[in-house]
Amino acid sequence: MVYVPAAGKSKPVEEEVITEENVYDRPDETMGFFPGQVLKDTYVFTFLIIACAVLSYAAPAPLTAPADTATVEYVPRPEWFFFFYEQMLMFFPGYALVSFGAVVVPTIFIVLLFAVPWLDRSPQHYSAISRPFATVIGILVVVIVVLNMLMAVSRIMNFPTA
Amino acid sequence: MIGRMRSQTEEASKFIVDWMEHRTGIVTQLEHFLYEPVPKRGAWVYTLGSAVLGLIVVQFLTGILLLFYYVPSTDHAWNSVNYIMNEAYFGQLVRGIHYWSANFLLAMIGLHMAQVFFAGGYKAPRELNWVVGVVLLLLVIGLAFTGYLLRWDQDGFWASVVGMKIGSYSPFVGGYVINFLLGGDVAGPATLSRFFALHVWLLPAAIAPFIGIHLYLLRRHGVFGSEFEYSERLAKLHERQRLEEYAGYELDDDDEDEAERNGRSNGRGE
Repeated sequence: MVYVPAAGKSKPVEEEVITEENVYDRPDETMGFFPGQVLKDTYVFTFLIIACAVLSYAAPAPLTAPADTATVEYVPRPEWFFFFYEQMLMFFPGYALVSFGAVVVPTIFIVLLFAVPWLDRSPQHYSAISRPFATVIGILVVVIVVLNMLMAVSRIMNFPTA
Repeated sequence: MIGRMRSQTEEASKFIVDWMEHRTGIVTQLEHFLYEPVPKRGAWVYTLGSAVLGLIVVQFLTGILLLFYYVPSTDHAWNSVNYIMNEAYFGQLVRGIHYWSANFLLAMIGLHMAQVFFAGGYKAPRELNWVVGVVLLLLVIGLAFTGYLLRWDQDGFWASVVGMKIGSYSPFVGGYVINFLLGGDVAGPATLSRFFALHVWLLPAAIAPFIGIHLYLLRRHGVFGSEFEYSERLAKLHERQRLEEYAGYELDDDDEDEAERNGRSNGRGE
């Protein structure tokens, strides 16, 4: 490993004119992980931890009544990050389809998620625009998850007790 | 005598650094890790992963603190959580941070994965880091699921029952899955013990080495690939070419522009 001093010290004194010939002569300017990146990480993390501390008093962690294993009419709500999954099950009604929607489809999705590096093998195309197929699939997945979440939220708001 | 004191302090700290370096090699390691060159471009985007790491550390710490008061039995679980919320010193804060940082953690993992996906960060030679990341995602989902039951309130209990019901629909393995989680025919004391064991021992112990592998592979390959390294220079090149092209079209303003640009570059060159 080559030792590279912290940010700022390696700046070229003269402004270089970049042409077709010399563009690949040397890579982009880098900065030291410390303090440049470490500081930015610290800002984000500090913001998150302060938000957690404020929220723990502004909106305390919920605790409903003690579990009553004898009731049958209680309608539980999953946590928000399981909303899209719960909503997706609504599209697979009945005994025959529910195992398909609940287990088979998510399992296929997870297997595909594992296989992403081998499904999109276009070499050296890091930008999202230069590999439109992967980008469109990714956007579709995000849209489906967000839409299902919104549908679950609207269902809960419309039917609070059912 | 400031000068003498300063030199003596300097010598003492030098001695400590050399002593540690000679015995552990930690100074070389720290220099290697701290001053590793990283891309200037997109530095804010790369904070997502470290935010996830930070939140997981917070989960570990607040989880350990909650264990000081939490009792994993059906008779006392809800009461002990209630005690944490209302009686214990800073109990509300510790449980609040555990709860809210778990929520932020899931959101940050989603953003982190989306960023890596759309940046093509999973491409060779980083395939295995993506695979390890998906394993970490599944472990975190497992932690989120098992944590819900531990408070033993109506929401947590019945949502977990529904979740296990869904798991029982798995073809072929459904029966085994639900037996493993329930520890009996219905959700009861055995279920709470098992969820506690999973949430507090098994899954955190499983997640720690995978985080280690994730970070090792990150440091081994860096966050940016061979094409990505030149993107800023390429952007500058294209910007310059575009400006030259425009200067060629705008014949009237040509002299003025040329003069201005020359003046600027001269100013910089000096």
